[in-house]
Amino acid sequence: MSKQSEKHDRLRRLVSWVDGDREPKDQTLFVMEQRPHRDLRPSEEEFERREKDRLRKFFNWYPIAAAVICVALGVILLATVMNMPGFGQEDNPINNEVSERYLEQGAEETGSENVVTAMIIGYRGFDTLGESCVLFLAVAAVMILLLRDPRNTSEHEVRQLEREEASAQEHADLILKQVAWVLIPFIFLFAIYVLLNGETSPGGGFSGGTILGAGLILFSASFGPRHMQVLMNRRRYSAVRTFGLLLYGILYGIYIFIGANDLPNYLTGMILLIDLAVGLVVACTMYGFYALFSRGEI
Amino acid sequence: MIVLEYILLVGVIVCAIAAPLCKRLLASVIVYMAMSLMMAVLWSLLQSPDLAITEAAVGAGVTSILFFLTLKKIHALKGTHDE
Amino acid sequence: MLEDIIQNRYAVTAVILFGIGFTNLMLQQNLLRKVIGFNIMDSAIFLLLASLGYIDGGVAPIVGDRGFDPLYINPIPSGLVLTGIVVSVSITAFSLALIQRIYRRYGTIEMRELLERAKKEDD
Repeated sequence: MSKQSEKHDRLRRLVSWVDGDREPKDQTLFVMEQRPHRDLRPSEEEFERREKDRLRKFFNWYPIAAAVICVALGVILLATVMNMPGFGQEDNPINNEVSERYLEQGAEETGSENVVTAMIIGYRGFDTLGESCVLFLAVAAVMILLLRDPRNTSEHEVRQLEREEASAQEHADLILKQVAWVLIPFIFLFAIYVLLNGETSPGGGFSGGTILGAGLILFSASFGPRHMQVLMNRRRYSAVRTFGLLLYGILYGIYIFIGANDLPNYLTGMILLIDLAVGLVVACTMYGFYALFSRGEI
Repeated sequence: MIVLEYILLVGVIVCAIAAPLCKRLLASVIVYMAMSLMMAVLWSLLQSPDLAITEAAVGAGVTSILFFLTLKKIHALKGTHDE
Repeated sequence: MLEDIIQNRYAVTAVILFGIGFTNLMLQQNLLRKVIGFNIMDSAIFLLLASLGYIDGGVAPIVGDRGFDPLYINPIPSGLVLTGIVVSVSITAFSLALIQRIYRRYGTIEMRELLERAKKEDD
């Protein structure tokens, strides 16, 4: 074969790739179909028949392959677990100097008696910042999928939603309403207690935030969206959510520059404020999921 | 205490096996919720009360509500009055 | 063998849970059940992590004015799991939102019908 023809061949391949007749050879995605050249392509019926055959074959083989993988994975994991260091022993490799240091110095260095909170907010606060961003982005992603919009909802759906709301207004659940009337103040009180006492008792931003979010969900479910509008409307929701994240970023930046790295910790109450910021973000996330799932709007 | 531990560990496994095998989707979600609650007790046995509080609020509360709302949206709940 | 299992009871439970969850994720036809299986896998991993940090006779790591010097459990796995639980909720919410969209588009959440309908629409 001469050089000329090889070059020609390569050019032809490039042209067919640009035309979309051929896809780049990808060894990782072996499910991707390798389309034959346009001239060699089978007829429509043949193609359909072949596709159906392929799907059927896939459905026949998939359970067997999956079961084999599951059994193999289970056996490997069990064998690993059997050789792990014993449960609950003090000299396990995980109990090394890092946790010792956190336990001994945590209260002085961060000003938080609860070492878990000290670790989450103080020592590994950057990790928690990323985590808050994940929650923020999760709400944004669910919004992309479920937010109602004149362009993606038909008249029928809107009418059905209105009808449901009206019937919910008419046949309001008396038991739910009364129980919520009694419970909600205590839930909010407990949430705020957990949120603000993360330093000295179990709790903190994540726990308090989820309880606060659950209280908001109960309020919204029992009294309907109209009453919820008083407490939290769309603008206020996005303001609180963004404010929480920004507050966290700014406070943690200040915390790093002032308190960390062996400098004296001037701001002992800082953990409380950072906890509050995390709690706001988490509570808004939980309530946002509920509102988007139930009504498609906040 | 150790008896409670064993009961909870076995209960979690039984719930995990039962949850996806239930015929109705609503039942599987409720069994999953029970599993979550048992996990919450297990966390407090493992001396991590932070986790217990969060799991009780999240696993039994928020996740189940999200599942129920999804069930309603995909018309898998019987007895709701639409159409 | 049995002693090993009793010694590592939490880890063994976690592996069994992980196996159940993974089997459900792979073999269930219903998308919602797949999500439940995924959540069970999440719980299994959290259980393994939290059990690694436990020390026999230890108490929760809240360093207060306790008279004598008590033995505290390891705080690191607790902190990691705490963040993990909250992230697992957002992952669940995202996948449930995707399921709702799939139902709105194709009218089913059974895997087999879904693939067939998607194929039909493709052609």
